[in-house]
Amino acid sequence: MWKYCLVLFCLLSSPVLAGEADIAAIIPKVVHQHILPGYERLAATTATLADVVPASCGRDPEAVKGAYNKAFDAWMMVSHLRFGPSEQKNRAFALAFWPDTRGFTPKTLASLLRDDDPVIHDAEKFRTVSIAARGFYPMEFLLYDDAFTGNPAANRCALLTVMAKDMAENAAAILKDWQGGYAELMIKADNDTYREPEEAVRQLYTALTTGLQFTAQTRLGRPMGSYSKPRPSRAEAWRSGRSLRHVLLSLEANRQLASLLSEEDADVDRGFDRAIRIVEGIDDPSFAGVATVQGRVRLEALQGAITLTNDLLAEYLAPRLGITAGFNALDGD
Amino acid sequence: MKMNLLLGYSVACLLGASAVAAAAEPVSKKAVLETYATIAQAKYEDSLTAAVTLQKAVGALIATPSADTLTAARAAWLAARVPYQQTEVYRFGNAIVDDWEGKVNAWPLDEGLIDYVDASYGGPSDENEYAALNVVANPTFTLSGKEIDATAITPELLSETLHEADGIEANVATGYHAIEFLLWGQDLNGTDHGAGERAWTDYAKGEACTNGHCDRRGAYLTAATDLLVSDLGWMAKQWQPGGDARAAVLADENAGIVTIVTGMGSLSYGEQAGERMRLGLMLNDPEEEHDCFSDNTHNSHYYDGLGIRNAYVGEYVRIDGSRVSGPSLSDLVAAADKDLDAELTGKLNTTMLKLGAIKSAAESGFSYDQMLARGNKGGEALIMGGVNALVDQTKSIERVVSALNLHDIEFEGSDSLDNPTAVFE
Repeated sequence: MWKYCLVLFCLLSSPVLAGEADIAAIIPKVVHQHILPGYERLAATTATLADVVPASCGRDPEAVKGAYNKAFDAWMMVSHLRFGPSEQKNRAFALAFWPDTRGFTPKTLASLLRDDDPVIHDAEKFRTVSIAARGFYPMEFLLYDDAFTGNPAANRCALLTVMAKDMAENAAAILKDWQGGYAELMIKADNDTYREPEEAVRQLYTALTTGLQFTAQTRLGRPMGSYSKPRPSRAEAWRSGRSLRHVLLSLEANRQLASLLSEEDADVDRGFDRAIRIVEGIDDPSFAGVATVQGRVRLEALQGAITLTNDLLAEYLAPRLGITAGFNALDGD
Repeated sequence: MKMNLLLGYSVACLLGASAVAAAAEPVSKKAVLETYATIAQAKYEDSLTAAVTLQKAVGALIATPSADTLTAARAAWLAARVPYQQTEVYRFGNAIVDDWEGKVNAWPLDEGLIDYVDASYGGPSDENEYAALNVVANPTFTLSGKEIDATAITPELLSETLHEADGIEANVATGYHAIEFLLWGQDLNGTDHGAGERAWTDYAKGEACTNGHCDRRGAYLTAATDLLVSDLGWMAKQWQPGGDARAAVLADENAGIVTIVTGMGSLSYGEQAGERMRLGLMLNDPEEEHDCFSDNTHNSHYYDGLGIRNAYVGEYVRIDGSRVSGPSLSDLVAAADKDLDAELTGKLNTTMLKLGAIKSAAESGFSYDQMLARGNKGGEALIMGGVNALVDQTKSIERVVSALNLHDIEFEGSDSLDNPTAVFE
């Protein structure tokens, strides 16, 4: 009797409560409105960077920096999509190795330049180099850090050139794989990668919540350090003054993804709106102000707003989609 | 709030319905959780037994330093890792283990905190100003503005003052890897073959002592080993009948099953495939080896993988050769979805083959640090074989959540999912 009651109750209640969203319709929207345009932008801007660097390096540093910043912006709009083609052949890792807790990046760059390592002059072999010397973060050292710009090594432009080419090839390869089959795998969701729409939507939801978690914990948490020991030099891309901008861009990217996944739910959007308004009130591009009480309080408020938004997604959006988050790269210690 | 409550009912209902459909199925969640806890108890008890053997070997090394007693202590350390690595699947999901494990298995470490290091190691870094503190050589020093008297090296000094000093996780003063460093020393071979080559004379008495402070080094090694034994003893108790860890797992059947799944998935994906294997390969850096001083990384990975498989199939072979087994998560999944059980079992077995390939290559002379070398295609293929298998099994582990209708449980009570620290920290 008890079981029958439960079954009846279940039949009545679950269609309304859990999995009410039309996930089969949501997935193609995310792919076509969020993922593909994001990777198209990344491929285009890194291709431009690969053209600008050899043409302007050593002659027009502002042109190089301009192209670099545009491409980095484009990366921030897809940096949360860590699955599928971006995980193949370590492409995303090779575009964006951060945080570098043990200082591999400056060490590896210095040794490549000092030894005039042959890989600097060979794009094919450059792909075997440690990810610490590939992608946006080491390029930032070469463009903005005094140790590399003050008295530039003769082969610095050659290294920048091969790095930019490597980045453009990676971005192009990710886009090509999405266009050449992965988008379809995800939308059809009748294959071994995504056995049903639920699995595809779980992947997207996991990317969303992991992205927010990374912003709160790592982009903000690392420079915040502890109250007695703030660590502004741990901020992401502080040399180029992009730390705060990365928080903003990643929130905007996640907001778009959340809006598509929630079918433009106003409550979900309000969480992002609150966090973004806090960002817009902060005038501290590289988080240097984290060492002051006011600076820290603002970042704490921002961190709280992002965490709250993530909690809201877990409590509200996940059940609506009929899923829980999958495992992510932050699950380790 | 109301919605959660309703969802709870609806899931209870779905579970009830599936129980009706598979009425002949004798496996209960409670029995599965009992097996899980009993295996944990056996693993931690075995880890304790092996650590006590290590403690005796360290005692012999300090009492009569020689090449033989050092070799025996190293062998005891290697043996102690076998049961311990198989426990790692309990870390994620069980808050009591997660909160504790940093004392026994913290890694990676700035070993210069403990003892002398090569000049290439560098000094204090931006990240850690105590990276080269060298407690063995310095009986007194200043730490975070406080004057520390370390004339007597005691377990308390290690655990209360030095471990994670200055709030830095890389200041690892205790546990397996601190002991490993004291037995092997730094591995200065880069990505060439070879482990640390600490001479037994680092523990010699009187004039024969090399690198200074042999008595303090011996005191440190003794204190760290004593601490490992007491920490493992504490954890073994938590899994005995009536222990807190066992009680926590058994408190709520559905949450308990989620704990098993969380441990398997988190270790497979973020920790082992990601941080421990793929990252080291992509950085070509042997310091990213999990057991870097002893060159035991191939075993460390292998037994982590075996632990994940143990948790699913509900069996464990103890260090005395006896077998602990019982109703398993595999049985539970098979009752709900036979194909999924076959799929996950198959993938766990594939992972063991791939990790076994790394292990056998390392044991036949192609060591793990060589596999990490830039442009080494064979090494990359071996390591990525393990990584891909672990990533692949994670997908099936996620499917278990759906197959058992555990959606609304949320991964609550799991430190690693609720408050994970970043993977690269």
